[in-house]
Amino acid sequence: MKKIKIGLPSKGRLRENSINFFQSKNLKVVNAFGDRNYFFNIEKNNKVEGIFLHAREIIERINDGTLDIGISGLDLLKEFPEVYSENVKIFQKLNFGFADLVVAVPKDWLDVQNMADLEEVSFNFREKHTRRMRVATKYPNLTESFFLSKGVSQFRVVPSLGATESYPFTGSAELITDITSTGSTLKANNLRIINDGSILKSSACIFVSKKFLKNKFLTNFK
Amino acid sequence: MKQGLEKKRLKENFSKEILNFFKKKKFIFTDLDLLIDTNLLTERSGEQFKKSALTYKDLLGKEISLRPDLTVSTALKYIQEKKVKEEKYCYYGSAYRLDKTGDLKVFDQLGCEIINPSNKNSSLLLIDSILEPIRKIKKLEIIIGDVGLFKILIDELDLPERWKLRLIRHFSRREYFIDLLKRLETNYDLDQVTIDVDTQRLQDLIRIDQNKIIGGRTIAEIVKRFQKKLKDPRDGYKGKLNVRIIKDYLKINLPLQKAEKTVITFFIKNKLPTKNIKNYFKKIILINKKIGKKYVISFKTDFGRNADYYTGIVFMAYTKKKSQIVELARGGEYSNLLKTLGYKKNIFALGGVINLNQLINL
Repeated sequence: MKKIKIGLPSKGRLRENSINFFQSKNLKVVNAFGDRNYFFNIEKNNKVEGIFLHAREIIERINDGTLDIGISGLDLLKEFPEVYSENVKIFQKLNFGFADLVVAVPKDWLDVQNMADLEEVSFNFREKHTRRMRVATKYPNLTESFFLSKGVSQFRVVPSLGATESYPFTGSAELITDITSTGSTLKANNLRIINDGSILKSSACIFVSKKFLKNKFLTNFK
Repeated sequence: MKQGLEKKRLKENFSKEILNFFKKKKFIFTDLDLLIDTNLLTERSGEQFKKSALTYKDLLGKEISLRPDLTVSTALKYIQEKKVKEEKYCYYGSAYRLDKTGDLKVFDQLGCEIINPSNKNSSLLLIDSILEPIRKIKKLEIIIGDVGLFKILIDELDLPERWKLRLIRHFSRREYFIDLLKRLETNYDLDQVTIDVDTQRLQDLIRIDQNKIIGGRTIAEIVKRFQKKLKDPRDGYKGKLNVRIIKDYLKINLPLQKAEKTVITFFIKNKLPTKNIKNYFKKIILINKKIGKKYVISFKTDFGRNADYYTGIVFMAYTKKKSQIVELARGGEYSNLLKTLGYKKNIFALGGVINLNQLINL
């Protein structure tokens, strides 16, 4: 019989919270080969095999059918092309991993309070510098759709892999969009969130492949 | 339905005939680059452009795109060849665009462009040159619009400067434009609480080095805009009334012959000054006088909003097949395009294309 394949986040608080969540549903994650090994089992359940993966990859693998179920962030699913949402379904939103994707500008940009201001400033910027304002982000797709929906068209995305908050102060970008839960990292880096600059409210979710939606295993989570 | 070889022969015949006609009108045939530096296109059209262009990276990681339209390629040629005076180009080639599902669509086009014209009647010359080769097509109809007229309307309205700029900049983005009108109706666009807090912080900013750069902007620039914003009227600018005028204006759709009188009457009725509009209309009056009797031409104020680079007259020629519109030609005036592609200043330019794929299928 084909085993159910589960993916859980491999790092940080999301990994811990996911393991605890499984345990609360009587699905104890067992790392039989040690903490550094990526494979795991569920205690007293030989129908399941699991793997720890990067949260982004969990969505990729559910989409290509390698995994049946997994825990990852809503922000990550939304960042993938829309076609992913046809195969990867949100089964349940979870009570952890909360974070907002927001637009943040240098705190001294007093004149920029909302996206309408940003729209105006971006036009002025382009006229003055004959180039578009740059937005550093790990979420180029979500950023682009949001900016366009708010009328900000004079920008270009600078993909960032980390330390996005530093970009406006190193000359690599003028503003950023990033994930934040309390806003304190942004504040510590002299950035402020634009009033109507909330792109997405995210949390951890159980994602399942479309084919797996009717599987009895999912009753464990109800 | 015409088959492969027949289509090919038709294309060859049409293109030869039409190019010869363009050449007679003193347009110079030019070969255009197939590939365009993606950076240039992104700078012009923004990030959303990437979704519709077929783009790849070369070995050095530089992004290159198949040309999404031939007007941009022509403008780039003008810049690369360091031209400064009038150039009249004609061309034959394909434009490549991805549709919403990611499939590549190829548009075979014959077109001509006039960049930096020395003649005042260049718009008439261009429109006539594009329409003449398709003149004999049955039930041919023309629509003319004018983005420049819309700009004049907005300039004449009693609105804060920021609102005027927004409405003009986003005229080509229909959905967002509707959203803007809704916001204008409710006069909502500023947050008074934040302004009060920031007004206090403004004093600190004024005290520091005004040349200091934060996020690509100088302190002086930030302070100046903030102070200007505080002075810009925040209420009492009759948002609802202005929205009604804009919406009514965009409903104007009539034969070209009646355009001038109707638009001027519209301005008078809404108590807007007519001096600028009367001046501006001279070009449309000339087009009507010279070719108004040759074609069925309607004037639509809502037309020409499909591309953000049009700045003046925009036109389209079409016919109907089984009650479906078949677009045969399209073009317009674009004054800002060259600067966004790297030319030192804005220059007046205009162009139009004949859609060969549609023509051979008639």
